[in-house]
Amino acid sequence: MLLEIRDLHVAYSGIHALQGLSLHVDEGEIVTIIGANGAGKSTLLNSISGIVRPYQGEISYRGKTLTDKAHRVVAQGIVQVPEGRQVFANLTVEENLLLGAYLRTGKASVQASLEEAYELFPRLKERKTQYAGSLSGGEQQMLVIGRGLMAQPKLMLLDEPSLGLAPILVNLIFKIIQTINKNGMTILLVEQNAHKALAVGTRAYVLETGKIIREGSGEALLKDPVVQEAYLGTKRETKKRKEADSATWAL
Amino acid sequence: MNMVLQQIINGISIGAVYALISVGYSLVYSILKFSNFAHGGVMMLGSYFGLLGLQYLGLPFPLAMALAIVGSGLLAVLNERVAYRPIRNRNSPLLYLLISSLGVSIFFENFTIVTIGPNFRTYPPVLPTDSLMFGGLSVGRLDIIIFVMAAVTLSLLTWLVYGTKIGNAIRATSYNMRVSRLMGINPDMIVALVFFLAGASAGLGGVLFGIKYTVWPQMGILTLKAFIAAVVGGLGSLPGAVVGALLLGTAETFAAAFVSSAFRDLFSFALMILIILVRPAGLFGKITEEKA
Ligand SMILES: Nc1ncnc2c1ncn2[C@@H]1O[C@H](COP(=O)(O)OP(=O)(O)OP(=O)(O)O)[C@@H](O)[C@H]1O
Ligand SMILES: [Mg+2]
Repeated sequence: MLLEIRDLHVAYSGIHALQGLSLHVDEGEIVTIIGANGAGKSTLLNSISGIVRPYQGEISYRGKTLTDKAHRVVAQGIVQVPEGRQVFANLTVEENLLLGAYLRTGKASVQASLEEAYELFPRLKERKTQYAGSLSGGEQQMLVIGRGLMAQPKLMLLDEPSLGLAPILVNLIFKIIQTINKNGMTILLVEQNAHKALAVGTRAYVLETGKIIREGSGEALLKDPVVQEAYLGTKRETKKRKEADSATWAL
Repeated sequence: MNMVLQQIINGISIGAVYALISVGYSLVYSILKFSNFAHGGVMMLGSYFGLLGLQYLGLPFPLAMALAIVGSGLLAVLNERVAYRPIRNRNSPLLYLLISSLGVSIFFENFTIVTIGPNFRTYPPVLPTDSLMFGGLSVGRLDIIIFVMAAVTLSLLTWLVYGTKIGNAIRATSYNMRVSRLMGINPDMIVALVFFLAGASAGLGGVLFGIKYTVWPQMGILTLKAFIAAVVGGLGSLPGAVVGALLLGTAETFAAAFVSSAFRDLFSFALMILIILVRPAGLFGKITEEKA
């Protein structure tokens, strides 16, 4: 087992966001988590990444308790691509990508990854000297995914990567996910695009108000009547407000 | 005409020293979003460190300067560890950091008075003070040396922040500390580095102030001008801090030369208020727009 989470509880001043969540991810899998807005999907990924602190429960990675320091989690090979196009707007596209490789050493291999990222997203190459803040929303989403890939993680946590993208790009993103998985990267994918996410996933969990209510293979969940009604019914539009903690006077 | 040129040269020389100090205000602001009023105390102690090296340890000037630069850099790091990090770790309002910095500033001043004494001290004559004539202009050699030292330091700092990997990490952390952690950046390390850079530049500024004027426990008050310069340039902007400082230095020198030196400080504050009214984010401050 690569990652194992047992009885995880997270509370934000009053809101009990995760209520005893347990799941596991095996090496080489694509594990999908679907759930409605506010179900606790991002909270789960942020607990793994060391950004929020659970008050109960355990996260272990390769059999050992995972560090709760965010930068050490990255050093262990677990990298999160956050939701909502969180680029560094005051840095250029290329500087953003290079920051993805912050902990990597070896100029040549980082440069090779940069070329790969540009190959995946030629649009980013055309705009490499432009400030990330000036990119369109979809381009920013490509950038955060590219930035995550630059880290060459063992386990990648993807938080709603397809949100707000044109259908053709959504297909591209899911194709990329499958390709990098084939090349050896394990993936924990959070999505509201349940159809596609369940189709690519080896296994999947359904998260509802902080608890896992269903789990199984992607195919099985696609056929599950509860899942069909709640997550595969009429397409819902979700709008996200982009948060920038402290953008006003950044360098 | 010569008179005007002369004042511009004087203004740029004093502005360059302000710049060394105002970049520290801006750097810290860009990362932690508060005005660190203990910065003046760090500058003052940097000035004393230089004096200590020269007079009591008998060091040659370059070594004494290095002592002041490294000493005040480390002092600023310690200042952050002890007085700001505990507040940051509790996610307290930014105002608490500002209040804490005022407390530290008072502590530095009184600590100096108690341990070193309240009197004014002067640097031994380490740098030449004669003037050179260029055409009809007389330029103090000291002013030239000060300007060159400040310019070299500021260029190095700019290169570090805008041209290196660690600089990318500093700017990313200043934009969004939470997301920077997802890159594997340790924000505490970045904060410490930023305080070191701010403190070290202030230390050099303190030595140069000490040579040009004198050294005394309340000399931190001189950095109020550097703070104004940082606000005028746009708090958090490195180029803004430098341009603001040069502008303020020149404006001040002009006010003193052509109006009256009594009006000098009035002029500085008026300039700051005017700029804040016209451009609330300062000359270089950018209000980064959010993308939906
Ligand atoms: N920083 C916070 N402070 C307070 N409450 C929070 C915070 N972050 C999340 N919450 C709350 O915790 C719950 C779970 O939020 P979370 O962001 O994990 O949901 P999500 O499943 O990712 O939703 P979405 O699909 O909208 O991204 C929500 O009720 C939310 O309002
Ligand atoms: Mg979310």
